[in-house]
Amino acid sequence: MATDIILPKIGFSMNDAVLAEWLVANGGEIKEGDPLYTIESDKSTQEIESPASGMLEILKPVGETYDVGTVLGRIA
Amino acid sequence: MEANFPRPDAQTLLEIYRKATLIRRNDDRAHKVIRSGRMVMPFYSTKGQEIIPSALSVSLNADDYICTIYRGIHDSLAKGLSLKKLWAELGGRVTGSCKGKGGPMHITDPSIGIMVTTGIVGSTMPIANGLAWASKLSGNKRVTIANFGDGASNIGAFHEALNLASLWKLPVIFMCQNNRFAEHTTFADCTAVDKVSTRASSYSMPGYTIDGNDPDEMYGTARIAIERARAGEGPTLIEAMTYRHNGHVFGDDGHYMDAEERAAAIAADPLPKLRARLIYDGIASEDEIKAIEDGFERELDEAINEALASPYPALEEMKRDIFAHEIG
Repeated sequence: MATDIILPKIGFSMNDAVLAEWLVANGGEIKEGDPLYTIESDKSTQEIESPASGMLEILKPVGETYDVGTVLGRIA
Repeated sequence: MEANFPRPDAQTLLEIYRKATLIRRNDDRAHKVIRSGRMVMPFYSTKGQEIIPSALSVSLNADDYICTIYRGIHDSLAKGLSLKKLWAELGGRVTGSCKGKGGPMHITDPSIGIMVTTGIVGSTMPIANGLAWASKLSGNKRVTIANFGDGASNIGAFHEALNLASLWKLPVIFMCQNNRFAEHTTFADCTAVDKVSTRASSYSMPGYTIDGNDPDEMYGTARIAIERARAGEGPTLIEAMTYRHNGHVFGDDGHYMDAEERAAAIAADPLPKLRARLIYDGIASEDEIKAIEDGFERELDEAINEALASPYPALEEMKRDIFAHEIG
């Protein structure tokens, strides 16, 4: 079963964030808990870990602002 | 702690560890779920404070009452809140303890004595007095625990509630969990006394400052206070010293917390200590403890998946459960 990579709300007043970087290439393998992407929000950059293990499918490109809850990619 | 206070027996110690582990695993899982984007919620971590409600609640009856504040999931879990009801409520789903209409800051389940989680600092104490007054009038022998933090002891309602509870000899325990921070402000920066417990003498009740991370001290002192309340002798103020490992709310990195003090508190984490003691004293084996811990992980998986699969409350639910006589 594929796991969605969802932009989390990790700051009290955070409603959106810029997807800064994918730390794994499209189609690459990732382990649950390993750093997967970085976001810029509330003037800081944060690394977000992978919610699952498997192969990464990137759905959203970097450099854009996305709302909390946006599905950025999938792990299958 | 006073030398003559009771100490927990082997099975009670194991039960304290079981409750504290449930609380810790739940807290860690909540961080993981929020960071995975599966749920959006305000979350006030209780990491570091688990021993207090765990060692207290083993002396409570099922029908005793607790009142707590938004940093109170540990109090509710220790009193027996089911993970399924909790997670559905955290997610705002109809299967939650408040049918999804309370949310993370208002976990309430009167069926097991969790009478209120309030979002207002200092507001548990007058509510606890009301419950205790009702118990006294009806003679049902129930005891009420009013949980609050060190910051709340500077709120007017604390002083009013202690005065009235002492005057009327109410069966209530004022349970101050001194985690050293009032939101983002240190205890010393906003409190005129060194110990909250000294305030008890102004209201003619016993006051104790104890190590809230020590299961023996916490158990013994809570037990004495509960017995005193149940016997109709009146309230007690307990100040249990502890330390909040995380920031005020999820997303707060705690940069204002003294780094050395914080590292020392985390290094002195009472859970691994209690775990090692249980094994050393032969109360439980490594395998038995591991089975408890793994069991909670499975229960958490189930509770979270069920919560996410449950519906949100319907719009017509908005006006229900507000007044004694339904309006819509």
